[in-house]
Amino acid sequence: MARVGVFVCFCGANIADYLDVPQVVEEVKRIKEVKYAVEYKYMCSDPGQGMIRDAIITHKLTSVVVAACSPRMHEKTFRKALSEAGMNPYLLEVANIREHSSWVHQKDKKAATEKAMDLCRMAVAKSIANEQLHEISVPVTKRALVIGGGIAGIQAALDIADARIPVVLVEKSPSIGGKMAQLDETFPTLDCSQCILTPKMVDVASHPYIELIPYAEVLELEGYVGNYKVKIRKKASYVNFKTCTGCGACWQKCPVKVANEYNMGLDKRRAIYTPFPQAVPNKPVIDAEHCTMLTKGKCGICAKVCEKGSIDYTMQDEIIEREIGAVVVATGYDMWDPKPYEEYGVGRYKDIITSLEFERMVSANGPTNGVPVRPSDGKVPKNVVFIKCIGSRDEAKGIEYCSKICCMYTTKHTILLHHKVHDSHAYVFYMDIRAAGKGYEEFVKKAQVDTGATYLRGRVSKIYKKGDKLMVRGEDAQIGQVVEVEADLVVLATAVIAPKDNPDLARLLGISYDKYGYLSEAHPKLRPVETAKAGIFLAGCTQAPKDIPDTVSQASACAAKVCGLFAGDTMKKDPMISTISNEFCSGCQNCVKVCPYGAIVTDEVPMGHGSKELRTVAKINEGVCQGCGSCVAVCRSMAINLAGFTDPQIINEIVSI
Amino acid sequence: MITLGTQGKNTFLEAVNEKSGANVLECYQCGKCVGTCPVSQYMDFPPREIMQMIKLGLKNESYMANSHWFCLTCSACSGRCPREIDIPAVMEAVRHLAIEENYLNTSTKVKEIRKFHEIFLSMIKRYGRNYELRMMAEFNIRTRNLFKDMHLAPKALLKGKIPLGVKPLKSAKAIRRMYAIAEKLEKKK
Amino acid sequence: MKKLTYFPGCSAHGTSEEFDSTLKLVLKTLDVVLEDIPDWNCCGATSAHVMTENLAYALPMRNLVLAEKLENTTMGIACASCYQRMKVTKVHMDENPELAKRINSTVVEDGTYHGSVEIKSMLQYAYEDIGLETIKSKVTKPLTGLKVACYYGCLLTRPKNITHFDSPEYPVSMDQICEALGATATDFDFKTECCGASFSISNTEVVESLSGKILEMAKESGAHAIVVACPLCQSNLDMRQPDIEKLQGVKYGIPVFYFTQLMALAFGYPIDQLKFPKHIIPVEGALANIGKVDPSAEKTKKTTKAVKAESEVQ
Repeated sequence: MARVGVFVCFCGANIADYLDVPQVVEEVKRIKEVKYAVEYKYMCSDPGQGMIRDAIITHKLTSVVVAACSPRMHEKTFRKALSEAGMNPYLLEVANIREHSSWVHQKDKKAATEKAMDLCRMAVAKSIANEQLHEISVPVTKRALVIGGGIAGIQAALDIADARIPVVLVEKSPSIGGKMAQLDETFPTLDCSQCILTPKMVDVASHPYIELIPYAEVLELEGYVGNYKVKIRKKASYVNFKTCTGCGACWQKCPVKVANEYNMGLDKRRAIYTPFPQAVPNKPVIDAEHCTMLTKGKCGICAKVCEKGSIDYTMQDEIIEREIGAVVVATGYDMWDPKPYEEYGVGRYKDIITSLEFERMVSANGPTNGVPVRPSDGKVPKNVVFIKCIGSRDEAKGIEYCSKICCMYTTKHTILLHHKVHDSHAYVFYMDIRAAGKGYEEFVKKAQVDTGATYLRGRVSKIYKKGDKLMVRGEDAQIGQVVEVEADLVVLATAVIAPKDNPDLARLLGISYDKYGYLSEAHPKLRPVETAKAGIFLAGCTQAPKDIPDTVSQASACAAKVCGLFAGDTMKKDPMISTISNEFCSGCQNCVKVCPYGAIVTDEVPMGHGSKELRTVAKINEGVCQGCGSCVAVCRSMAINLAGFTDPQIINEIVSI
Repeated sequence: MITLGTQGKNTFLEAVNEKSGANVLECYQCGKCVGTCPVSQYMDFPPREIMQMIKLGLKNESYMANSHWFCLTCSACSGRCPREIDIPAVMEAVRHLAIEENYLNTSTKVKEIRKFHEIFLSMIKRYGRNYELRMMAEFNIRTRNLFKDMHLAPKALLKGKIPLGVKPLKSAKAIRRMYAIAEKLEKKK
Repeated sequence: MKKLTYFPGCSAHGTSEEFDSTLKLVLKTLDVVLEDIPDWNCCGATSAHVMTENLAYALPMRNLVLAEKLENTTMGIACASCYQRMKVTKVHMDENPELAKRINSTVVEDGTYHGSVEIKSMLQYAYEDIGLETIKSKVTKPLTGLKVACYYGCLLTRPKNITHFDSPEYPVSMDQICEALGATATDFDFKTECCGASFSISNTEVVESLSGKILEMAKESGAHAIVVACPLCQSNLDMRQPDIEKLQGVKYGIPVFYFTQLMALAFGYPIDQLKFPKHIIPVEGALANIGKVDPSAEKTKKTTKAVKAESEVQ
């Protein structure tokens, strides 16, 4: 005989103000199977949970209904209370009388109360048919995949590897390092970016637990948390990395010159190249699009001069597979193209450059020996105008959000300019100065006082040419005057945008992305590094624009999550999955087609008891099944039941109202 | 000095928003319009400040500013506004409200601008088309500047740049009827 | 043969007669026949919308309603200001049928508004409906050697949601038409900076300042002449140029052509039909550059025959 306990929560004023809780309790008491019903202010509190535990023992309950907030909030809490009282936690049913009644029917107390009573009746009826379920253990592959070799990917890989967990680090370009390798100095410490990054890069290359796969892309990801299989395409580099010594003879002789992406197109590289001198791995690759041997069958100089014979023009892309348990996505960001700002003459004037181009110019290993120059005539500029919010906070031409880092790096740029060109003068056009991090406001103040840069509050309206100067026109709202600055060089702080491949990658991995292409976190406040798919984590700007301190923090957080996932030898899995009764299965395989996780396969079973003939039935892989219920819906023979939502349970609910 | 918190609901903001179809609250005071506006230096208050004045509910000051009389409706500002606010429409809304409530800026230049428009409209009412020569003459007389642009007259008239007469509409009555109905519609609101 | 409904506007027989007459010459070559809106009235220009709300819509509405009586579905307007007023009226009426009904009541005796006629500026019509290839094919006397700064003004390409034509900041349609005629369009930054427009009479100082800046930048870009598609711009830049020169203490001597005048010139029409005497700033100096070989452009492979043909323009 069923003995159900019902616990109805006031939830402070959230439920109590909008429906009559005592009345619900009274109504519920009239159900034959309910042996104990009570109300309480906060069921989720310690005393509240204590009430449940005591009642189970005292009244020998066989199932429990808690009428309160959404199960997403406290189902776990109440299940734990059941366990502690010695009852199987899956004998709990939560009736959501807050999100489903009190919060959405705030103007009609009578109707809200009636609905709450119905919800309780349904929960009671369902709980009577609840079965005792037990968590499933699945094996876990203790290897992590990190996609992206910028500072985020590097940090995550190192942290995971230091915990003696093997890591596969995949990077699209020939070298790891990402955008941070393109920076000169970083705010607020003015550390030399390369100097603090390259040791980490070297650590990655030499770490016994990291398998670095450069010049490669992720092709396919199959499986589920703890049990993924990834296919990676290693792009043909046409250079045998095992024999290559990185001597550089090849690229010194290569006759083909191509715009150098590392230097933002400000100078040229060769068709066979390493992206920058401190590249890891420091082995060149051949750019198949521009190499004359690979496109036209002529030249071949690099092969001739290579003493180790490492050049192999016949090399092909290679597809490799790895088994992994978790993925950290750290694909970084792109810079917005300022072309829509026609009023600034973007694209028409050579002396208008982007912030990353300026960063390359002032870098010691950059195209202009660490000194900013005017692209039009190569002269060193005296008046440099920095314009912020290019594309950011701009619903008309760009994106609505703030890119977070530009205020700080523009301040940094005024300092670098001051150091490199002593008699220069910086002008900064801004709307706000956002300096919210540790030491950031102090950094801005020091920069303003030390460099004497002129700060003008107002968006630039127009840039036009006068002689060989650029006239930058805008309002200085602080004095209410329109000003025109005679500039030698203009630097645009362009918006940070999501990598353009993010949507494709998201589809490949089975995770979501927002309207800007940033990959979606599970919860913006409480779960910022997880995605909605178990086992896949996000680090760095691929989730949203952020600076290096936050990126490194996020990367380490991902590592902690991965380590937590891999802490035991097996992983516990939610037992609310589908099971198939072979007696009813007709072998139609509709469920196989409809399962989004590929969790159902076919199996052969004897036709009848003791028969030698076989027939086809469907079989569910317990580890893969996520309990979505799609198979239950399409099964024509009603052969499938979803534990926790079985046919008897649901029929009970329907009949009870 | 301005005291705030004593005016009650900002009905001025609501009226401007309704008439212009824009939402002045979206303006984040970036100032791009001011550097863009070809006549901002002639205005008492450039466009950005007018926006803030509307947000503060400073109705009289907004009406009496010469800003909306100087606005050329060139739409350069709205083309560059990052929040895509229709600034000329806001200027026009303030100006029309000022005319409705009879708050007219009386500086010499604004009076001249208004006179010009009044004369122009009277030409159309009479002839259905603009009679440029008569309009310029009337303007000079009414602004007591008889010899304005007189130095251009000989060349212009000799070259036939400004016709001596006007070809009025066949249905000049239709125009007068239009004016009357339009005025009635104006009063209906 | 194409037919186009035409709204001449008040200045067509007066201050911008050159625009109107050369437009008609050019359209004859391009096999386009204009049909005037019968008994059209003034669109209200700036004054109507500055001072009134309903009248500002009513005046253009009458013309739109009369235009629907003709069978053409497109209307071409030469004057940029008239084009702007008519287009704005059409867009607002189409977006707001209630408003359309109310405004229609002022001219209901002339007809009912259906919004069936498309409105284009003549520049837009030339660029979109006639096209650069056709224009190029009619050129018999290319304007090679003539450097022009194409000045669009405010109302042909702005606001974007009304005109839907070319760029509001750096348009290129007129530049490309001039290049199709053989001229060189200079890189001119002030293409769409306001000239002062209707303040010509009531606020002349503003015009002198703004138009002065345009002349300065045109000269800076290396242009021999300015090309426009708006009567008020032409008037401000041409008629007021001597006063501006005096004010700034600079000699410009930059003539201001309507693009249709240059088209007619390149199509081979005799000079006495192009109304050049109407200009205040003489045009001969600039036109003398046609056919002259630019020393810096010597590398172009021009045959002697071509050079002789160009010098026939004189």
